[in-house]
Amino acid sequence: MLEVHVDGWLREFGPKSKEQVAADSVAHLIDVLETRYPRLRFKVRDETGQLRRYVRVFVDGVDVSGTTGVGTPLTGARTIDILHSIAGG
Amino acid sequence: MPKDNRLRILVGTRKGTYVVEGDTRRKTWKVGPVSHEGEEIYHVVADPRHPGDLYAAVNNGFWGPTVQRSKNWGKTWKEIATPLAPAKKDRKPEMNESDPATPVKRPINNLWHIEPGIASEPKTLYLGADPHLLFRSSDLGASWEPVDSLNNHPGRKDWAPGFGGPCLHTILLDPRDARRLYVGLSAVGTFRSDDGGQSWTPKNKGVEAPFLPNKYPETGQCVHHVVADAADPDTFYRQDHGGMYVSHDRMEKWVRIGKPLGEDFGFGVASPASTPGKAYFVRLDGKGRTTGLGYFQVQEWNDKTRTWRKLLAPKAFPGDFGVQREGIAADNLDPAGIYVGTTTGQLFVSPDAGKTWRLVPYQFPAIHSVSIANPAGS
Repeated sequence: MLEVHVDGWLREFGPKSKEQVAADSVAHLIDVLETRYPRLRFKVRDETGQLRRYVRVFVDGVDVSGTTGVGTPLTGARTIDILHSIAGG
Repeated sequence: MPKDNRLRILVGTRKGTYVVEGDTRRKTWKVGPVSHEGEEIYHVVADPRHPGDLYAAVNNGFWGPTVQRSKNWGKTWKEIATPLAPAKKDRKPEMNESDPATPVKRPINNLWHIEPGIASEPKTLYLGADPHLLFRSSDLGASWEPVDSLNNHPGRKDWAPGFGGPCLHTILLDPRDARRLYVGLSAVGTFRSDDGGQSWTPKNKGVEAPFLPNKYPETGQCVHHVVADAADPDTFYRQDHGGMYVSHDRMEKWVRIGKPLGEDFGFGVASPASTPGKAYFVRLDGKGRTTGLGYFQVQEWNDKTRTWRKLLAPKAFPGDFGVQREGIAADNLDPAGIYVGTTTGQLFVSPDAGKTWRLVPYQFPAIHSVSIANPAGS
């Protein structure tokens, strides 16, 4: 079971605290979260299924957003952080 | 929602939505509900068919675009359905030039314009989006259908973006006939449909595209904004990258009117209900994209006398001001109120068709759009 944390702004649409999720990939994990929290749909991913530009997903502390992205396998992973990146002005 | 007699200026900014409340005298203003803090609001519009209902095109840099509606003049907002980029089977895909066999999947980047339907279609909304997409709702935004005839237009392969992206930013409806629609896309031009959006024809004859080898193509012009004359739905005023134009025949041909101004670049234009035959532009310096005069100025076009008039005394408001495509609006009172929002957050108001001007005493974030919710019964 994965322990998922989302950051403050995303809590408007998703889990308010730590969430336990069973998933075998980042895409699968987001599918599960979107089923539990429908307002998350299209906030973390756009309609092509890719992570939005300023969303960061960390698997056990490693940022996978710019590398394997939603296809990242989660076998053996323990913690997931979904954050918005530092951007804007 | 009970009717009330307040006039509201709806201001979409780079950092949120502001509803500015006043009355028919249009001399004092109160900045009312502020919403969508930190989000880019490309357009806010009132639905005159349903007093109290506002729609906002909300573009969040992190979480993407949403359509939102207020049922109480902007006090609270709720996310309603947001259209999605049509699936590949429904729309000719954007082609990947380096690998044409693999189409580029493109999500909707930004929402640009929401247009409530005409009075005879009380549940219709239209929505323009980037990349070059038009949507229609028949249930007040509970669901959206892509307008495939435009979104799959055979000319699409040649459509290029403007500096603001491949946006569909202008939607005009003929108040006499729900079958007649007009749209403006950058940098593509204007199109007209006479059959309820089943087919579309480019309508850019006479409009110069100074940035293309062929200066007068069928499409490729960078239209910035178009409005209809309030008294004559067949007459349109157009601010294009390539100048200021008028059409008297449903956009069949365009006549350039801006040349007496020297450079006739700009983004916005408005035509108030009580001043038929007049349009108001803010001419900008094409390079600096500000008024560039050292002071604020608005130009009035009189279509009957075919003359221009500058409305402000030089140096009345010193500075250099940028105005975007949705940045000029007019109310439907007599005398007309004219409203101009700037990219540096000033909101200018003339309550008397341009004779006098004052600033709403509030510094807004950069203003993307200004529109008016007219008082009930006006």
